[in-house]
Amino acid sequence: MTVVLASIWGVWAPYLPSFLRGLVITMEITGLGLAVAIVLGAILAGFKLSRFRTLRLIATVYVDIVRSIPVLVLLFLAYYGLGQLGFTLSGIASATTALGAYYAALLCEIFRGGVQGVEKGQKEAADALGLGRVSGFARVILPQAVLRVLPPSTNQLSNIIKDSSLVVTIGVADLMARSYQASASTFRPMDMFVLAGIIYMALYLVIARAIERWELNVQRRRG
Amino acid sequence: MSNDVVVELEGVRKCFGPRVIFDDVSLSVHRSEVVAVIGPSGAGKSTLIRCINRLNTFERGVIRALGHEVYGTEEGKPALKRDELRELRTEIGMVFQTFNLFPHLTVMKNVMLAPQRVKGLSEAQATARALELLEMVGLSHRKDAHPRQLSGGEQQRVAICRALAMEPKVMLFDEPTSMLDPELVGDVLATIRRLALDGMTMILVTHEMMFAKEVANTVVVMADGRIAEMGPARQVLSAPKTERARSFLERVLPHTDGGGVTDVRTHPQDQGGPIAGPIDSIGGSALWSREADEEELL
Ligand SMILES: Nc1ncnc2c1ncn2[C@@H]1O[C@H](COP(=O)(O)OP(=O)(O)OP(=O)(O)O)[C@@H](O)[C@H]1O
Ligand SMILES: [Mg+2]
Repeated sequence: MTVVLASIWGVWAPYLPSFLRGLVITMEITGLGLAVAIVLGAILAGFKLSRFRTLRLIATVYVDIVRSIPVLVLLFLAYYGLGQLGFTLSGIASATTALGAYYAALLCEIFRGGVQGVEKGQKEAADALGLGRVSGFARVILPQAVLRVLPPSTNQLSNIIKDSSLVVTIGVADLMARSYQASASTFRPMDMFVLAGIIYMALYLVIARAIERWELNVQRRRG
Repeated sequence: MSNDVVVELEGVRKCFGPRVIFDDVSLSVHRSEVVAVIGPSGAGKSTLIRCINRLNTFERGVIRALGHEVYGTEEGKPALKRDELRELRTEIGMVFQTFNLFPHLTVMKNVMLAPQRVKGLSEAQATARALELLEMVGLSHRKDAHPRQLSGGEQQRVAICRALAMEPKVMLFDEPTSMLDPELVGDVLATIRRLALDGMTMILVTHEMMFAKEVANTVVVMADGRIAEMGPARQVLSAPKTERARSFLERVLPHTDGGGVTDVRTHPQDQGGPIAGPIDSIGGSALWSREADEEELL
């Protein structure tokens, strides 16, 4: 056993620095994509909950269209498609755009559900106290909605991390691309992709556990 | 409208879709008056008081609260602007059947939120006011708890504090004790009784007939989509004039002639029913709400 481990380690060790640099890029793409998705998703959710039909319609059309297109198609549209129109985006910018656009559509639905899921009496209590629409939302509805959307949003985070690996197709040197290169130059794809898999898994688990613990803490404090 | 009328309803009709819930409801509530609204389940009691602070709109008639028309149902009479409505609501306290405390905030923050955000009180001022109110209801030792850590009775008393912290000129209560375990009802009623003694104007939807008789000046009986009877509390509860009020009271009270209100055990439903035994031994006013609820479901 130790012999096997030692020999695998021997294969992995030279590539580890490169993989970790790839991990940084993977995290960058994931983080930027997630940030765009959260902001755009929140705006779209606001549209969906709006009193104005036009805004609701815009959000619905956006979500329906974007959600039904593969992320890879969105990525190629951002990278090659926009390039054709004269908006040349870097690989990372394209990935941010594609992941942000796609996951905004998913998060929009989650956010909307989270806000609508807050018990009706909460809004009524805020109204009855004379809290305005802004304070009522920011102080009463939002803090409760955030906790409700956390678990399904964390789920989507795992998908963003995994989908970030699609940038291998447009030449971004992320974790996926580097493991692909390493497997090609060593002829040991099994070892290299297992290592990549382990790193992807570790990334997700660390973040997900951190969110989970924060959530549990808040819930414990609230009794 | 005379100066000391705090809330006034004139010919109010409320519909949900095609269904008329009540019609032609007129009522004046004077300063320091306590009005109890009673009636069978589904009569529209909650809906009625929710129209007063415009949590519900209505289809016809006029409601004036503190001199403002809360909602214009007639052409050329615009409803209050959003900001005016918000302003008015700060002066109308509301207590819900289900408490509706803010679960993410501590007891203190629940009480302090609106005074700070709406009235612009400083942290220190809001803290002082909240502590004073919590002291009054005997809950200052629970100030750092979250709502879920409190019993229903405690939650409801905090909810009353939260409303009082805005220094409202009138309080609306929608069955404040009907979600509570019998032994917790007393503390909440004691708080409301104290407000009545302090001269707070209140409109109180309740199934607690004994309490209504004790604390209310006026009782309004709602049934069949209108006010069936309205008058001095003792008179309406002991000797109702209308057939509809009498038949309702007969079902929720042991007997309505004279002081029969006080004797729980003589209620015919208590005999032989499957739950007569255990409930019999609890006694007290909470029993009334249970009976009223159950019977109207029959
Ligand atoms: N939002 C709503 N939409 C449609 N119908 C409603 C709505 N709210 C209440 N109703 C109906 O209006 C009627 C009156 O309801 P309301 O809650 O005012 O009765 P209530 O007298 O308070 O009864 P209870 O004693 O059970 O609380 C009921 O038949 C109810 O089903
Ligand atoms: Mg009701």
